[in-house]
Amino acid sequence: MTSLISKKGILATVLFLMVSLFCGHAQDMRELMGQSLSRLQQPTPEAFLTCIAELKRIDAMFPDQTAPKYQLALQSLNYAVTNPHAEQTEGLLSETEQTIEALSQMPAADLSDVYTLRGFLYMTRIVQDPARNGQRYYLDVIQNYEKALKANPDNTLAQQLQEKFNEGMTQAMR
Amino acid sequence: MKKLLTLLFAALAATCLLSAQTRIDGVVSDEHGPLVGVNVFVVGTIDGAVTDTLGRFSFTTARTGELTLRAVLLGYEEYSLVADAARLRSLQIRMRERAASIDEVVVTASTYSMGKSSQIKTLDALDVVMAGNSCGDVVAALQTLPGTQKVGENGRLYVRGGDSEECQTFINGMHVLVPYSSNVEGSAQRGRFSPFLFKGMSFSLGGYGGEYGQALSSVLPMETTDVASSDKFGISASLLDWNVGGTKAFRRSSLSFNADYTDLGLHNALFPDRADWTRPYRKLSGEAQYKYEWDNGSTLKSYAGYDCTSLGLRTEGRELSLVEHNVYANATFQATVGRGYRLFAGVANSSVFSDIDNALVRGDHYHNFRNEVHLKAEIRKSYSAVFKLSAGIEDYIRNSRTQYDGTGYVLDYNLLGGHVDAQIRLVRTLFLNLSARAEKASYSPVWTLMPRVTLSFVPGKRFQSSIMVGRYSQSPEDDYLARGWGRLGQSTADHAILSLQYGTDRTVVRAEAYYKRYSHLPLLSGGVYTPDGYGYSRGVDLFFENTSLIRNLMLTAAYSFNDSQRLYQDYDAPRTPSFASRHNLRVTAKYSLGKIILGLADTYASGRVYQAGTTPYYNSLDANITWLAHPKVIVYASLNNLLGRTNVYRINPDGSPVSENRDRFFYIGIFVSLKNSKAYDIANF
Repeated sequence: MTSLISKKGILATVLFLMVSLFCGHAQDMRELMGQSLSRLQQPTPEAFLTCIAELKRIDAMFPDQTAPKYQLALQSLNYAVTNPHAEQTEGLLSETEQTIEALSQMPAADLSDVYTLRGFLYMTRIVQDPARNGQRYYLDVIQNYEKALKANPDNTLAQQLQEKFNEGMTQAMR
Repeated sequence: MKKLLTLLFAALAATCLLSAQTRIDGVVSDEHGPLVGVNVFVVGTIDGAVTDTLGRFSFTTARTGELTLRAVLLGYEEYSLVADAARLRSLQIRMRERAASIDEVVVTASTYSMGKSSQIKTLDALDVVMAGNSCGDVVAALQTLPGTQKVGENGRLYVRGGDSEECQTFINGMHVLVPYSSNVEGSAQRGRFSPFLFKGMSFSLGGYGGEYGQALSSVLPMETTDVASSDKFGISASLLDWNVGGTKAFRRSSLSFNADYTDLGLHNALFPDRADWTRPYRKLSGEAQYKYEWDNGSTLKSYAGYDCTSLGLRTEGRELSLVEHNVYANATFQATVGRGYRLFAGVANSSVFSDIDNALVRGDHYHNFRNEVHLKAEIRKSYSAVFKLSAGIEDYIRNSRTQYDGTGYVLDYNLLGGHVDAQIRLVRTLFLNLSARAEKASYSPVWTLMPRVTLSFVPGKRFQSSIMVGRYSQSPEDDYLARGWGRLGQSTADHAILSLQYGTDRTVVRAEAYYKRYSHLPLLSGGVYTPDGYGYSRGVDLFFENTSLIRNLMLTAAYSFNDSQRLYQDYDAPRTPSFASRHNLRVTAKYSLGKIILGLADTYASGRVYQAGTTPYYNSLDANITWLAHPKVIVYASLNNLLGRTNVYRINPDGSPVSENRDRFFYIGIFVSLKNSKAYDIANF
């Protein structure tokens, strides 16, 4: 009986160790992303920057996956549009441009998402400097959202952003 | 049971040990000091930190033993360190700036661009429309840039002491034989193409690469817009022209059309000029475009345009009558063909039929037909971050027929060309562009070889300087070729350009010095044209643009000094060509007041030298106003030459001055979008 308990004990120990190792060191990509994005429940600039830095690391861990790149670009743009003149914004936008370009080159990338991100990028440029960039980029914003919705009419982010942009345009021209 | 509990505690202890936190910290810097915003992390985990303003970072990781630490910052080479976790304390990480790859660096020397490139001076279609005196004409808008000369009697582009024929236009890489609409002397010619057709323009004033041939002085490549994403329909009306156009967007393609009728009759009735018109200037034009985009990025673009120009003028005792038909069509295909090779293939056809009654004397008739088929293929590839190569071949097949009162000529010839362009990053900040172009005209046994070199120093995004040298060639105009057949070869021009430019978001400063040496220009000698003409052109161009002095105000200033002489055509001695003025200055201001945009421009050019005398200086103060009346309605008005100065363009051999047909020119137009998801978009394409 004792030897039986011992054997069971060893087995349990090994299993326990394996589960611990798995949980500690082989976290799923989505779990990591979820963990990182949960920082944005308190969407302070610091939380955004931390989340973006973590998403970059996740992207480095899973370079063949589209989801980290998409989230990285999206959260960078979310930060930039709410902090258009922050010290980090210009660098972030340059990186985002590269991220979107890299995403567009991936066969698994959703074309509608790529167009949405592009439209959002141009929109952020306008928010940064409406007088200078409005005239230069407004057509790109509209065309990219249109292309996004043409590729996927149910893309809610594209719908929302398009709506916001149209509202902004109407207000600006009043 | 005790044993089991002991084992469980042991397992827990082991787990705790395995997930023990190791602290990693240090400072990241480059050669200039601490770096802020560096993402430092353990590879394969999300454990990491971003450096603070002093370059410091600190974080803990559950990893133990050997691991890879990475530091990443945009514009810097990635830093990696493999070490035992316990030894990663008080690190001093030194990062190196990453050298820009050959694809990232755009050498802007001698080039002004339209579109959203990183190039120094950018214009978009609305800039073109709202340029002080352009009235929506691309060519007129480009004349606000340094290096262009003010030649008011025909409005064409004259660049850095070169004749207007030396500047060639390309649409999607394909040549346009006649880019201007016809008009009589004293009335400005306009470009044939609407600025709204294009998403990008790249006006090169010299020193361009091997891709472009048949242009001695400059090239104006323009790229049409991509496949439209939504339907459009719009109309516009002005004192001069009426326009209707639209686009039907499909899933991967779009089809556009545009029709335009221009008639100066109403304008002449309201604002009479000095010309005695028997039939006012009229132009009827139609354009169509079809574009298709494949998922893999391949694109097909096609364009077809037709216009008919007609006018009648009573002059020097005769009634001159002009009718011209112009057809231009092109189709281009671009695709990535594997292993990173990008293929381009295109075909274009230009046909122009001109008939003039009473052209020089009463009762005469002039007929001219010119046709060009342009075929082109090119392949490009970026082999690495430091080396990029392109090569291509092209053929211009030309046919020309002219008749004037029983005399005339028929010409058939072709111009075969090939080029290789290599772009090399020599060191981090030094870029070399080596081009070789060869051309063979069927009327000459000689191959023309043209090496071209550009060396650019690009230490950062704000400053760059370049030295460009190269040889360029062009076939003489058909009238000269016909009278010099068998003798004339291609004319050549050697360019040397030194360019310095500095640009921030708000300010652009550029200075360029150039020297051009012309050889084998057609020269009339003993009633025939020989290739013995020659000349030079040298000068300095300065450009300044600022948007930060006053909020919502954009100021530009462009000054050009030119000194040129040539012996060509029917000149009997080397002299300054009559189209060249020594000093050209343009100052423009654009001020936005919400829905109203005001523009003011002043153009000054010193006198031009004719054998019978020198013209007085040219000056024109122009103003325009754009009113964004409604998201679907734009009203635009302009008045050229506010001060009403009578500018003299030419001195006749008898010493009498020739001035423009009118001193002031008023334009007002309304642009209405009937179907368009975009506000303030007056482009029907």
